[in-house]
Amino acid sequence: ETKLTVANWLPPSHPLVSEVIVPMTESIAEATGGNVVPTILPAPLGPPPAHFDFAVNGVADITFGVQGYSPGRFKTTNLAELPFLGDSAEAISVAYWNTWEEMLKGAGEYDDVKVLALFTHGPGEIFVKEGDLEGPDAIKGKKLRVGGGIVHEVATTLGAVPVEGPSSKAYELLSQGVADGILFPYESVNFFGLIPQLNKGLAVPGGLYNTSFYIVMNKAKWESLSAQDQKAINSVTGEALARVAGQMWDRADAKGKAAMDGKLEVATATDAQMEAWETALKPVIDAKMEELASTGIDADAALEHLKAGIAAETK
Amino acid sequence: MSEGTAEKLADGPVSPVDAGPGYRRWPRRALAVISGLILLIMMALTAVDVVGRYVLNSPLIGATELTELLLVSVVFIGLPAVCLDDEHVTVDLVTSALPDWIQPFRKALLAVITATVLAVIAWRLWVHADQIASYNAVTNSLRLPVAPVARLCAATTAASVLITLYVALRDLRTALKG
Amino acid sequence: MEMLASWPVGMAVFFALLLVGLPISIALTAIGLLGTVSIIGWTPALSLLSTTFFEQGRNYSLSVLPLFLMMGNFVVQSGIARDLYDAAHAWLRHRKGGLAMATVIACGGFSSVCGSSMATAATMSKIALPSMRRFGYPDDLSTASIAAGGTLGILIPPSVILVFYGIMTQQDIGKLFLAGILPGLLGVIGYALAVSITVKFRGFDLRTEDKLPLGTRLRALKGTAGAMVLFTFVMGGIYLGVFTPTESAGMGAAGALLLTVLSRKFTWRATFATLFDSAKTTAMMFFILFGALTFTNYVNLSGMTADMQAFLTIFGDGPVPVILTILCIYLVLGCVLEGLSMIMLTVPIFYPVVASLGFDLIWFGIFVVVITEISYITPPVGMNAFVLRSVNRDVELWTIFRGLGAFVAMDVVRIILLIAFPGIVLFLPSQM
Ligand code: NA
Ligand code: NA
Repeated sequence: ETKLTVANWLPPSHPLVSEVIVPMTESIAEATGGNVVPTILPAPLGPPPAHFDFAVNGVADITFGVQGYSPGRFKTTNLAELPFLGDSAEAISVAYWNTWEEMLKGAGEYDDVKVLALFTHGPGEIFVKEGDLEGPDAIKGKKLRVGGGIVHEVATTLGAVPVEGPSSKAYELLSQGVADGILFPYESVNFFGLIPQLNKGLAVPGGLYNTSFYIVMNKAKWESLSAQDQKAINSVTGEALARVAGQMWDRADAKGKAAMDGKLEVATATDAQMEAWETALKPVIDAKMEELASTGIDADAALEHLKAGIAAETK
Repeated sequence: MSEGTAEKLADGPVSPVDAGPGYRRWPRRALAVISGLILLIMMALTAVDVVGRYVLNSPLIGATELTELLLVSVVFIGLPAVCLDDEHVTVDLVTSALPDWIQPFRKALLAVITATVLAVIAWRLWVHADQIASYNAVTNSLRLPVAPVARLCAATTAASVLITLYVALRDLRTALKG
Repeated sequence: MEMLASWPVGMAVFFALLLVGLPISIALTAIGLLGTVSIIGWTPALSLLSTTFFEQGRNYSLSVLPLFLMMGNFVVQSGIARDLYDAAHAWLRHRKGGLAMATVIACGGFSSVCGSSMATAATMSKIALPSMRRFGYPDDLSTASIAAGGTLGILIPPSVILVFYGIMTQQDIGKLFLAGILPGLLGVIGYALAVSITVKFRGFDLRTEDKLPLGTRLRALKGTAGAMVLFTFVMGGIYLGVFTPTESAGMGAAGALLLTVLSRKFTWRATFATLFDSAKTTAMMFFILFGALTFTNYVNLSGMTADMQAFLTIFGDGPVPVILTILCIYLVLGCVLEGLSMIMLTVPIFYPVVASLGFDLIWFGIFVVVITEISYITPPVGMNAFVLRSVNRDVELWTIFRGLGAFVAMDVVRIILLIAFPGIVLFLPSQM
């Protein structure tokens, strides 16, 4: 029996832990007939950005996290975080995984680890405390809390004043009035207890941005497993795990949206708004695609592959 | 307590920059000026960020990440100064009851342990710098490279190892002579 | 080495190293590192070490520490601390222990807005300790009232730890804040009692003088204008949402620097002395924090929390025996672990058990935060006592812990009251 430690920096109640990581440990144990048993550590070993290296260096055997927390390191992530990709985390996640396997892997960003899954959360939307969200200048001049990665550039390009801070501090920033609003998926607004702090939301078809996640394993540990166990683990990770994760985000978004009923009014962006934002964000998208191309990947082909995958999954 | 002592105490602990025997020597002065400037910049960054957010409706881009890099720098530049003045926090319950002649030897032994632990930290910080340099770790908005800051931390920790050993040796010699 | 894989052995060795006088930061790091090595091997353990020291060192939330330290040091440089003393003297010179009680309340107020118990202890010791010394208060009582007072703010809303707990257990953060108010005030009363008990039973010879006429007392307040403006600026700025608690530290430091200029106490030489002192104190505190985190990682990897779960029902499986067992476990763990790390280690394991026994999770959140407050002031790893010692290098650590005895005792009384009368916690949120 091989024991694997799984590092966790999220609260155990977070759906990414309770509905993806915990079931993953169970399905690995089950698929290998109890030969490989992953156990989750009770407390974080370090800050979230450190978790990729925890897997590289064998501090923990399996880790998960957000590529965008380590700026400069992952360029292929850009592809999955572009605005307006789609409304279903499941479709984007499955298409993202397949695109990675077929095209993005060659960039070599994950050569130091065994990748168990890559996936994205649901579409990022706009939420504010007061004022309206009408017209193309809906967020112009508003102080919005944003995370790292593409969302920062999206917010600035659309004229918002970005307020930085970890997601766990979002409550503080909003309740004290330092931020007027936030760019978040439905799930996170609900999970971080922000619904009472907000009054208006604007759903952006296809999502204003997205966030990419990874689940990876220490390479030496992976290679120490028997071929049979490796095969068993492969059967429950990869596309299958990306799908589980995408489904979880979709469920959590639905739950978050339901929790907003009667407390937070969510409208949908108008055609005029969408047209204006698509034009405004074109340079941001182009820059991201250029960064992706710098890794030697055919960026346009990859985007086409991703979009085709999302369409096939959505149908 | 005489009134004179009380008056002095009321002004708070006298800063060791003035009191220290080596203040005129360049190492302590250099550390004081560098760490002082870093703290002043950290303070100014917040002020400019907050004022910018309200007056100009544009916060200082990258204030958070600059603060983070300055914070870790001031922590690690402060370390050699702490070692120079031998001001680590210790539990003094039992040790103060030990006979006087043991003290110099006890302190020398503890300094060796301290130096060893600091040497390991210095070495690993350098390795860490190599690792983050290998994937071009940069800050979020300003895209500043992070590895040089980790190298700075490794260097000041290494300096702290030498300072710790120097201070221990100096004190041991004084104790044995006296 | 092999032996260290068992966490009780690691803790015992750690205590031994502390007693021979090894710096706390080095002892925590050494045992944390060797213990981790015994569990996951050299290479991963060493890599974890560098992550802890470098990546935690650039944790934005922790920037409040050096900035509030600067603010406190500038307050001293500007001479405001002395003016505060004069005012306090005019108002309290006829009361025994009055100044220590005022300190407890001031610490509670400051820490409740700034949110950091360590930053409060650092700032307030610059302001309150000199006055208490001039009144002839013994160092153990003065430092203890600052260290203990500083812990109040993590319970009195707004509270970062309660937000954290709320997210972790999916409880309503607004209700948690309301629930923290009465137990927080109870804490203030408890600490004030601790002061008067200490004064009474230890028989300190505190100077008392005749009461001054009201006019004289009011005139003495004039000198405190600078300090009042600074505190109103920092606390008002946070409450009105002009800046975050993290930013308030930088703004407060800038304000305090401005005060030294206005009071004509600014010289470059004195200012760099002040800054150098702040930098050294920052380094000391962070290395203790890094050590504590290294040690916590070891405990985390050692499987201690799983062992704890087996302990929970050792005195019976009813609600009262289990909660008392949890209390005992926390009091022991709180002696050696850093507060927030302890919550992260244990709450995920304890809260389902507690909920299944019929306890309200809002109540448990307050229980856990009070426990954390205690952990900041119990030896040998009591972060607030360490802060006091780092800022005032002429006070022995043991002196601070000795003074804290009465305060810890009052905290234990408080937590037993909360167990016996959960209404103290649940009354306000039930009105919502
Ligand atoms: Na508070
Ligand atoms: Na403690």
